[in-house]
Amino acid sequence: MSFDPQSIPLDVALLYWVITVGGLAATVLAVSLISMLITHRGSGGKLFAQEVEGFANDLFSLSARRIWALSKLTYLEAYRRKALAVFVVFALLFMFAGWFMGGDSKDISGDQVKVYVSFVLRTISWLTLPLVLVLSSFGIPEDIRLRSLHTVVTKPARRLEVVLGRVIGYSMIGTVVLLVMSAVGYIWIVRQITDPAAKSALICRVPVFGRLTFLDRSGDPANKGINVGDLWEFRSYIEGATKARAIWTFQNINESTLDSKGNLHLENQFLAFRSYKGDMKRSLLYDYQFRNPETNLTYTTRAQPVNENRGVTDVIPRKLTVPGEEKSYDLIKDFVTKDGSLTVEVSCIDREQYLGMARPDLFIRMPDSPFAYGFFKAVLGIEMLMVLMVLLGVAGSTFLKGPIATVLTAVLSLLGGEDSHNFMDQLVMGRSAKEGFQGGGFFESVYRIITHMNPTTELPDNAAFTAMQGADSFLTWFLWLCKQVIPRLQYFNMSDYVSNGFDVPWEYSLFPSLLITVGYLLPCVLLGYFALRIRELESK
Amino acid sequence: MNALTSQQRKLVYLSGILVLLIPIIYLGLPSDGKSGSGGRLAELRTRYELGESDLGDVDPSSAAMNLVLLGMRGVAVNLLYAEFDKQKDMKRWAEMQATTESIVRLQPHYEKVWEMNGWNLAYNTSAEWDAVPDRYSWVKKGGKFLIQGVKQNRKSTHLQYHVANVYQKKIGTADESRFYRDYFLHDPDPKFKGGVDPDFNPKELDNYLAAKEEYIKACNIEDTEHRPQHILDRSLFRSMPARCQFDFASGLQKDGKFGEETRVAWQEALSDWTRKYGQEVLTVPVGDLGTSVKFDIRLEMNLDDIKREVASPDDVVRVAKVVEQYRKMVNYYYWRTRGNCEAERKTSESHRNLYEANQFYSKQEFEKASESAMAGLKGFEEILHMPEYQDLKSEDNLIEECLLGIMVWQDINKIRGEAIPRDYPLNWLEAEYQGNQQIQLNVKRTFKRLLDDR
Repeated sequence: MSFDPQSIPLDVALLYWVITVGGLAATVLAVSLISMLITHRGSGGKLFAQEVEGFANDLFSLSARRIWALSKLTYLEAYRRKALAVFVVFALLFMFAGWFMGGDSKDISGDQVKVYVSFVLRTISWLTLPLVLVLSSFGIPEDIRLRSLHTVVTKPARRLEVVLGRVIGYSMIGTVVLLVMSAVGYIWIVRQITDPAAKSALICRVPVFGRLTFLDRSGDPANKGINVGDLWEFRSYIEGATKARAIWTFQNINESTLDSKGNLHLENQFLAFRSYKGDMKRSLLYDYQFRNPETNLTYTTRAQPVNENRGVTDVIPRKLTVPGEEKSYDLIKDFVTKDGSLTVEVSCIDREQYLGMARPDLFIRMPDSPFAYGFFKAVLGIEMLMVLMVLLGVAGSTFLKGPIATVLTAVLSLLGGEDSHNFMDQLVMGRSAKEGFQGGGFFESVYRIITHMNPTTELPDNAAFTAMQGADSFLTWFLWLCKQVIPRLQYFNMSDYVSNGFDVPWEYSLFPSLLITVGYLLPCVLLGYFALRIRELESK
Repeated sequence: MNALTSQQRKLVYLSGILVLLIPIIYLGLPSDGKSGSGGRLAELRTRYELGESDLGDVDPSSAAMNLVLLGMRGVAVNLLYAEFDKQKDMKRWAEMQATTESIVRLQPHYEKVWEMNGWNLAYNTSAEWDAVPDRYSWVKKGGKFLIQGVKQNRKSTHLQYHVANVYQKKIGTADESRFYRDYFLHDPDPKFKGGVDPDFNPKELDNYLAAKEEYIKACNIEDTEHRPQHILDRSLFRSMPARCQFDFASGLQKDGKFGEETRVAWQEALSDWTRKYGQEVLTVPVGDLGTSVKFDIRLEMNLDDIKREVASPDDVVRVAKVVEQYRKMVNYYYWRTRGNCEAERKTSESHRNLYEANQFYSKQEFEKASESAMAGLKGFEEILHMPEYQDLKSEDNLIEECLLGIMVWQDINKIRGEAIPRDYPLNWLEAEYQGNQQIQLNVKRTFKRLLDDR
């Protein structure tokens, strides 16, 4: 895999959610109270209390029947707006996709399977997400423009139900589109890939990832291995025939980790780097050393050749015998510690040659699941992203006009990407000029650009520059606040797992996605509700 | 505002449409495929061979993509290249290949795009893989990519040259060439059941002969389509088919084949060099820069030929000088001498003896190895003393071959505990190259390989 799956820190995420939602709610309430006190003077406080009471009434008298009726209405409305015409584009893309994917379907190699799977999932995302984005952003503004919302809100339906009905309705139509497309996409993949070797790449491996640490060539702990000149620093390398090691620690290892025959399946995908060509007929060699840190017992496996870019599954028997000696070890009893962790050290055998690796390059492979299982999990990821966009779109459309709400949601989605979050992280996590983020904040950067001041030159020490840096700090704090509002969408992209032949892990992808979607549900619905309450619904 | 009624205005529009249709039909009527059919534009397109089908095979997906993108093709290509770079850095090779395919679909007639991406697959990407069969698979992908480029750009001398270049240089001279040359005839992909990949080697030829065919095609395109190349000086460019034949003959020797087949290959190489390439007409400038005059020369032409073809005696001297310069530039004499020498049975026998000496030495059959080495050394002693082959005394490969033979012979003497006589064949060559570090290093490396094979 060319990425490192990261789990979401639940406690930190929850804390941030409470702070952000609580802070926003408190701000909204405070602003409402102040504006009411200003406009209605003495009776402002009473009016505010009535509004809060009204919200409580709305909240506790929600009717599932009314929400369902509004959802159905939304679904029909989207249907009449020819939302399902998206199938025509979908059909066209798949009719001619074979032209652009390269070659005859008989020639599809295992590597190209990745391209086919990611093409299908990407196409589905790119067709469904803009569809629901536009539908959800334009729904309520159109209702207001046509005054049909006025008819709805004069009925017993409450504003909270209107918002929920919209969210559910648009999610429903998106789900229908998604289900049809994913079913067709799945059949298309299976039918396109006919070569038996390529078909074997349509798998769903279930990995157990460990934690990776390194030892350098002298045997001292190191953060990373050696960079052999790659621009991309995802993998680092260990030197052969030295004390350099890559050490994986797997947690929760017990007998259930082994297969029915008592074997442990360790799969690796190490890269080879030769500092001289050497014997080209054979691959570089590696071996595993199982080590129990409590007893310092070690067992070294036989050297194996690296199968670069494809991977090798090494079957390690539970009973480990030492060649030439009578004694043997039990993998679970002798090498798994009391807290259930297993330490595997990897070394490169060949002198002056290097093996490259990253955390996901060695994992315990559990029994495979069917490809469809992983594929539809990835579809579930798209579904959750779609619901999130519906929530953002509907919430935005309650206080903005359709096009603006569309732009807002689209911008939030674009900013939600991994790269932009990493950049914002760098800015807000204190990477100031002093810590190496050259050029300072917004005002400092502008000043330096205008005055042609080198980023490494110290600013003059006076009150004006102190104020400027203070303003930059405030902006950074504001960016931090904005960053909390912008969803982290990297977890929703599950196609990389499926296209690389992996199951979509609950811990690293499904659970964080679900958490984010649910996390946005409450603030978005509440925002929509309040916006509808204060908005003049009859106006155009 | 005008005074026309709605109906009158419609009639005016209709007449305008009809009037405009006349030039449109005259100019733009599509051709039915027959010569001279269609409008003026179709006629001009046929005359100047500007149609998509005149350039090469028409790819419907490429045409569809360009049509759909309207004027945004450049933007799309830029985005694809950004993606390509990222995928390359992240070693996502399959995806990078798919992106490459998309780029050429958008720019199917940009020769540099084919050239750069073909090179990237055959040279850069193949080097990123460790196993030799994997490397070869990427060399093949690069080669096939360039072949596809030629199909879509039939008049491209450059692309045709680069296809040949992959066959000759990537497969023939890479460090892994021993394997690649074998894979070219016996593909490692189990799908081909030990045979050739028909898309890469359809005629089941040796890689050098396949390269020779492709170079000949490139030369033909240059002649018939009047598409000059800008890769090499023309004198070097036109030498490539004959050079491939030399490589083929030399390759047979490296593979341990010293029979009639190899001798015939050398004879054919000599013939290609002197009778075909030597008779190629090269139009070259003669005289000082600024005042030079173009003359047609042939590298095989002698002074009598020059006198016959050039009127002024001053020009005869100048043309003869230029012919000599060009001969030196393309190493004409060396290859002619080498071809003559290698086509002789004695040379072939001497090569065989030295090769067999190495094989016997690896198998530790020292008696046979010593005999073969001595026979080979004696053979070359005789050849290198012939006045017509004096140029070969500075030929690196031959020197390394002879020095290796000496090293094997001396080592066997040491193993047997016998003293090395002061006078033995080619001892003068050994003394002459004692100080040449590069040659000494190469010989020692090959000798070590023989020891490892033991």
